[in-house]
Amino acid sequence: MASVRLRAVAKNYGAVRAIHEVNLDVEHREFVVLVGPSGCGKSTLLRMIAGLETISGGEITLDDQVINDVPAGGRGVAMVFQNYALYPHMTAAQNMAFGLENIGMAREEINRRIAHAASTLKIEELLQRRPKAMSGGQRQRIAIGRAIVRDPKVFLFDEPLSNLDAALRVQMRIEIAKLHQRLDATMIYVTHDQVEAMTLADKIVVLSAGRIEQVGTPLELYHTPRNTFVAGFIGSPKMNIIDGKVAAITPEGVDVETPSGRLAIAAEPAGLAIGDSVRVGIRPEHMGVGKPGDGLAVVVEVVERLGDETMVYGTIGDGTSVVVKLDGTARVRTGETIPISVAATDGHLFTMDGEALRRTPAALEGLFDV
Amino acid sequence: MEKRAIRPFSGDTVTLVLMIALAAMWILPTIWVISLSLRPNMDLMRSTAGLLPIPFTLQNYIDIVSVSMTPRWLLNSAIVAIGTTVITLIVASLAGYAFARIAFPFKRTLFVFILCGLMIPEQTIIIPLHAMITDWGMHNTHAALIAPRVAMPVGVFLMTQFFRAIPLELEEAARLDNASRLTVFRRIMLPLSIPALTTLGIYTFLQAWNDFFWPLVSATNSNMYTVTVGLSSLQGNFAQTEGLGFIMASAVFASLPVVIVYVIFQKYIVRGIAMTTGK
Ligand SMILES: Nc1ncnc2c1ncn2[C@@H]1O[C@H](COP(=O)(O)OP(=O)(O)OP(=O)(O)O)[C@@H](O)[C@H]1O
Ligand SMILES: [Mg+2]
Repeated sequence: MASVRLRAVAKNYGAVRAIHEVNLDVEHREFVVLVGPSGCGKSTLLRMIAGLETISGGEITLDDQVINDVPAGGRGVAMVFQNYALYPHMTAAQNMAFGLENIGMAREEINRRIAHAASTLKIEELLQRRPKAMSGGQRQRIAIGRAIVRDPKVFLFDEPLSNLDAALRVQMRIEIAKLHQRLDATMIYVTHDQVEAMTLADKIVVLSAGRIEQVGTPLELYHTPRNTFVAGFIGSPKMNIIDGKVAAITPEGVDVETPSGRLAIAAEPAGLAIGDSVRVGIRPEHMGVGKPGDGLAVVVEVVERLGDETMVYGTIGDGTSVVVKLDGTARVRTGETIPISVAATDGHLFTMDGEALRRTPAALEGLFDV
Repeated sequence: MEKRAIRPFSGDTVTLVLMIALAAMWILPTIWVISLSLRPNMDLMRSTAGLLPIPFTLQNYIDIVSVSMTPRWLLNSAIVAIGTTVITLIVASLAGYAFARIAFPFKRTLFVFILCGLMIPEQTIIIPLHAMITDWGMHNTHAALIAPRVAMPVGVFLMTQFFRAIPLELEEAARLDNASRLTVFRRIMLPLSIPALTTLGIYTFLQAWNDFFWPLVSATNSNMYTVTVGLSSLQGNFAQTEGLGFIMASAVFASLPVVIVYVIFQKYIVRGIAMTTGK
């Protein structure tokens, strides 16, 4: 068993508060990904769990034991660093053995564990090499191996793939996913790559400026973002956010008058009155070309043809930029104005301070059945 | 290796000629000294001209080993230089690690204080130092020759800078690997700082070996002379005419260890000079 709980955990650097009273539960065997823009405190949070950073407030428990004052080595966690942090003067095998020697493990057991980790990671032929004589991907494997041999309760990863090239990143991502299945281990993983977050996570934690914006499964965050920050952060390209006014409240939801046309959104009108300002959120992949006069009138500025899909960058009446994702054969030309239609059940609605209004049951139908 | 060192000059004949001329200027006196040391003293009273040892004799070297105190002085020098080097390395690496990685009160002030030591010329402290060692009755001991030399600000500074440049993540990884502070120091930091330690070691060794002023003041008993002080004591009134070959042989003999160190560690000495000047 290895569950991690954060209760009102805070971190101050001098007068600056980097983490604001964060509460988070990480269950046994769960793969939790921390995402957020640069400087939001992902590394800080991870390093507090690791024991590399002191905790200014609150409590961190591991298996119901408060570990605030337990030194890093005694917590039973292993960390994989962004730049690997392999000991340069030791061979791969020595790197892996170091932590085990420090707890006085018998040599045979150390060797057995190294051999086992090496076969899991397919790094047998690297064991006698020093880090300098390895590629980035190989070093990454050794770093993971060093974590595995310790048989930790919790694995911590701080942007482990960000120094690898795109192809290798995809490959290592898949391997980390397999590793998680095979080891049945609890993993906490920091990234700002949202594809990594979506693909690896059982649970994603979106952070912004030291606070948790939302916690949920990848699909929950995608389909029901709690606010415009999460809506913009999850999904690529970003969700379009368009300002408008409530024009009508219908049984199906809310009709919004935007600067370029009227849109129906299947969201609950809690507290809204006709004439109120609201924000409409529509993902680029949910937009399509409609009949003339339909939906939003978008002035096309740039068309990118990627083969299987077409990205259209344009603006609407009040100058707001929008991105539309159409299929590869869409007939769109720069300079023309196209009518963009959106299904009411695909739209999101937010108040002016960015809070999401609940989507109607009709909108959510079937989204989580996958 | 050799090719790489020579290539930059190969296109530039003027530089090459200048280098040869300069090298000759440096090497000629050395050759002359060696040659003089291999000629009989009687012969040298007539003339010291010529770079070739004719007539040839090894008598001067035989005298050194069998008669004179040079071997004893060499031994003193070796004890002092090696002792100074070893203790300096220990002090500088521990202090450097503390300054680079451990938080403690007044760290910055203390560091500046140590750096100030770089600016104090030896001459200004030699009298108080002498008085102090006299009070403790420590003159004419190896300890008196070593102790004042191991508080070496350059060494602390060099090691601090070096440790600072080692990525912090290595130490954090080691902490997660259950390593104590001492284990981190011993098994991570020290092995990684071998280049810096080698440089500092050679520098300290050469400095201690060539040291003249302090041993001259402190070691008054000829049994405790280091080789530098001993050799200068040989320069009696008529030594220049009566025992020139012998003096030259002593000089050659005394510089052998230094030459050997230079030859073996040439690479590190160059690197060390580069390190202390900031790139
Ligand atoms: N040692 C420190 N002293 C002062 N402030 C710090 C320190 N370490 C981090 N911070 C601040 O804390 C905040 C969070 O930093 P952190 O490194 O956790 O961000 P991050 O989310 O990991 O960013 P990135 O994606 O760039 O790695 C930042 O504003 C940073 O400036
Ligand atoms: Mg970070």
